[in-house]
Amino acid sequence: MRALLLAALLVASGNAAAQQLLEWAPAEVAAIALHGPWPPPPVHDPSNRVSGNPAAITLGRHLFEESRLSPSGQVSCADCHQAGKQWSDGRARGFGLAELDRRTPSLWNAGYQHWFAWDGAADSLWMQGLRAVLDPREMGGNAAGVGKLVRERPDLACAWRGSFGAPPGIDDERLLVDAAKAIAAFVETLVSPRTPFDDFRDALVAGDRLAAARYPVAAQRGLRLFVGRGNCAACHFGPRFSNGEFGDTGISFFVGSAVDPGRHGGIAALQASRFNLLGLYNDDPTGASATRTRHVERQHRNYGEFKVPALRQAGRAGPYMHNGSLPTLEEVVKHYAEVSPDRLHSDGVPLVRALKLTDDESADLVSFLRTLSADAPPLPSPAPLCP
Amino acid sequence: MRPLAGAVALLASLSALSLPAWADDCPLDLGHGTGLVVFSGQHILAFRPDPFRIEVGQPFALILNACTRRGAPAELVAIDASMPEHKHGMNYAPVIVSRGDGRFRVEGMLFHMPGTWEVVFDVRSDGTTERLTHEFVVK
Repeated sequence: MRALLLAALLVASGNAAAQQLLEWAPAEVAAIALHGPWPPPPVHDPSNRVSGNPAAITLGRHLFEESRLSPSGQVSCADCHQAGKQWSDGRARGFGLAELDRRTPSLWNAGYQHWFAWDGAADSLWMQGLRAVLDPREMGGNAAGVGKLVRERPDLACAWRGSFGAPPGIDDERLLVDAAKAIAAFVETLVSPRTPFDDFRDALVAGDRLAAARYPVAAQRGLRLFVGRGNCAACHFGPRFSNGEFGDTGISFFVGSAVDPGRHGGIAALQASRFNLLGLYNDDPTGASATRTRHVERQHRNYGEFKVPALRQAGRAGPYMHNGSLPTLEEVVKHYAEVSPDRLHSDGVPLVRALKLTDDESADLVSFLRTLSADAPPLPSPAPLCP
Repeated sequence: MRPLAGAVALLASLSALSLPAWADDCPLDLGHGTGLVVFSGQHILAFRPDPFRIEVGQPFALILNACTRRGAPAELVAIDASMPEHKHGMNYAPVIVSRGDGRFRVEGMLFHMPGTWEVVFDVRSDGTTERLTHEFVVK
């Protein structure tokens, strides 16, 4: 640990334990500032005409919990994305109608992303929801079934009018897309709570040393590693702690005897889909929302790359990595401390390299990562569909 | 974002390049008075990002004017960017759109990590292609 533990500020207020504030260099403060403020402004997705629409958010919440979007009647979005499990399921690999190849991503802050699923095969939140409905291993649904459901259920049809300004039409595929857009409008509202890190970050930026010193010193040391020697912030960038792109972190991409191509396959699937943002269902008349999709390029190095996960609430949402192969945060830090350079092919300074952390440093990094989580207020009961 | 010293001059200091008086056939003015300039033995390239501040993970465009040292329009034939330290490029393929008379707009640039990015421009005139470079540091 750096010798900058200079003038430690002792705080003894009431029965609170005494805390220290490390001495932070201006460059470190600037780097930490980039991870906030939190929360960000509400999501507005121009590709989704009902983004932010209260009626659509209510409709989307009901559809999110509606198992009849699956012909089996057994699986809803909420079965794999559980509020009590950080909007994931706690499993190593997701399970809808069958077991999947990857872990179920948390939905916290999903609306702020640009690529969805571990391979980025969707370029909008609504496209990703639609893929889950249609995937035979997830919900196994189809456009005809969704269209029939929203046309024939009076409460859904009523809420549809309130959301989209017209009753459900006869175009099943458009109804499927619009159902996914309503679900996306709901998911966009899932913004993770402020955390101890946010209080520290804001106090540090404001120069409030007293408030900053309330942040555990082990977490401060871990944060220093995160933005410094560990170079974690190169990929876990910004307020969500993800740059939203993809990387190979040395985790196996074998699924049994097969290979998960990761981003390489994700781009191929994206470009082959009529539901991407270059298709006719994008509601953004400017086309600006499709810029990434228009220019994304499939490259050989994308093979085995998976999306950089955001870290907020991650401390409560294991297991970890795209395949759920690491059960705890401690195991994740151990992986990065020991990752083999032979597994990671890089001609330059590798972005992922063995950090060679001491046991104390590993514990500090875990302490920091745990401060990116907090208790979320309970989700209120859904409003009635058609009051 | 800040330009690295040494490779760049603001348009306001173009007089230092000793352009001939008749160089008006390829004006380097980008229209908003602010930009960056790189030059080689035969070519001068004025450009600015749009939006001007490049944010990590956010798409941006480049507005460019490519000229010969003698003031004639030149052609921007290729553009790419990479992180020299890590030896990886962008995840996106930019597209060059010519607007005539040496004016170009490049769409689809995106720097997905903080750090130093080197942009390379291949500029051609009279059968000669030269490579010009500029480094951006994004934070």
